Formats: sequence, C-alpha cells, structure tokens
Amino acid sequence: MKNLPSICPACQSQLKIKELLCEKCSTEIGGLFELPSLARLSVEDQEFTLQFVKCSGSLKEMARLLKMSYPTVRNQLDNIIEQIKVLEDQKQDI
Amino acid sequence: MVDVEPERNNKQKRILRQWLFNPFQFIAGSGALLVGLAVILVTAFLGSLSNTHFDGVLDVHTGRAAPLWFFLTEVLIDWLCLSVVLLIAALFVSRSSFRIVDVFGTQALARAPHLLSVLAVLPKGSNRFAEYLLSKITQQAPTTTIKSTDILFFVAGTIVMLLMIIWMVVLMYRAYAISCNVKGGKAVSSFIAGLIIAEILSKLAIWQLALRTGLLPS
Repeated sequence: MKNLPSICPACQSQLKIKELLCEKCSTEIGGLFELPSLARLSVEDQEFTLQFVKCSGSLKEMARLLKMSYPTVRNQLDNIIEQIKVLEDQKQDI
Repeated sequence: MVDVEPERNNKQKRILRQWLFNPFQFIAGSGALLVGLAVILVTAFLGSLSNTHFDGVLDVHTGRAAPLWFFLTEVLIDWLCLSVVLLIAALFVSRSSFRIVDVFGTQALARAPHLLSVLAVLPKGSNRFAEYLLSKITQQAPTTTIKSTDILFFVAGTIVMLLMIIWMVVLMYRAYAISCNVKGGKAVSSFIAGLIIAEILSKLAIWQLALRTGLLPS
C-alpha cells in the first residue's frame, strides 16, 4: 500500500479526500473530506509521533532509541506541536 | 543492482560533519557537562605549562606566569559567564521549555577546540617568542633569547588558535540554538549580544581576580 500524500505535488497545496472505498464490499463514498491533523504532517513527523506514543511520551527513551540528544528530540517534538497548532487554527478558520 | 557504497560514504561524511560542527544533536545534558568540564580543566592545566591564559570568553593570550589555580579559575569564569548570559537570553527569546543542564553542558563541550589551541602553543619556541614580544611591548629588557625557528612556531600556533576560536564560536552558537530551541534571526542576534556581554563580564571578573590576588599590580 502506498503512503498517503497530504501535499499536492503540482502546487504544494493541502490535499483533501474526494473518495473512500470499502475493500470488503466495494462501497464507494464520494464527497470532500479534510485529512486529520496528524495525517497532514510529513511522513517523518508522523513516524516520530507514533514512536513517541509507543515510548509512553518519554523524551529520554526517545533520545536513547533515536541515538539523539535530549534537546534535539524535544525540539523536534516542539516543532510538531507548533505545526499541529497551525493546522488546527487553519481548520477553525475554514 | 544499486551501488550503496557512495551513499554509505556520503552518510559517514555527513555524520562526521555533524560531530565536528553540531555534536549537540547527539550529546547534551550531564554527559556533555562531564566531558566538557574535563576538557576545560585539562585545557587550563596544559595552558599553565605554556603560560597560555584564557582571559575572556573568546580570548587566548600567552605570556604572564601565574599559579595553576588562576588558570583553572579563568576557564571556569569564561564558561560560567557565557552559560549564564545565554540562559538569561533564552528565557526572553525561546518559546520552548529547556533544561539548565543542557545549556551549561553544551557550552562546556563547545569550548573543546581550545584544547587544540593550547596544544598548538605548547612548543617552547612559541612561548619564548611570546615572552620576547611581551618584553618589547612593555619596554622591558628581554629575559630570554629567541631562536630563528621560534617565530615559525609562534605564527603556526597563532593561526591554529584563530581557527580554533572560529570553530568554538560556531559550536557555542549551535549549543545555544539546540539546548534552548531558538532559530533564525532571533537566535543569531541574541547569541551575538550574549557573547559580547559575556566577553565583557568575563574580562572584568578575571581582571578583578588578578588585581585582588596580587597577580596584577594595582
């Protein structure tokens, strides 16, 4: 299965979901759906977030796992938080 | 078949570059503090062997003899002045939470290039020429005779020292940016202001210490 793209490769705008499909019964749902905030992050940031949850939110554990220093990992988390806040603000504006 | 060798070489080069110019991606906190303090104290000890003084956050001067404790105190004052000033600066400009141990630890490790500076001026020729220059500047009779090769050691040592100071400033900036999560123009301007303030504070503190302990005539 391919990774879900969130940014348009042609104009760099945010992509939306137009169609959903049930693999079991082939039901198709059409419309215009927003991607959830987490799915709109880059693949690296999504992987980081997933790993962070798996580590029970321990930055020290994350730093050990990624072989990075504590502040580097904390800065990455802060950047993700900042991005999520911006995405949520954009959602509220719509 | 894909040739993975160039890719591996590029990755190794990138990691080496990161260790040289941004080691704080990999090491910070108490680890950096312990290694950094050890390097600082060894640097001061080696400095005492060639009368190399770190009499300011960025300063390296050779010449005047002093007891070992004075060399050790100088480097600790330099490290503490910059760490405290940058910590205060970060309280104003950083939007992130940060740990004090990261600021002090990474700033201690950022002073590691001075270890190479002090090794570059360890040869006696460099020290003799520095003493000769000092006697000329202070218009006193030279206490040592210099050899023709001494100037070469002195010039080579000075060039290495300048390069090491540039490397150290890069490391100090990276240490500040990573440990306090500051970026862009705000990071650069607050770092430059902090560096200037810390340089002035450290010079004043070391000058006062030398005066009060009788190492400098009042």
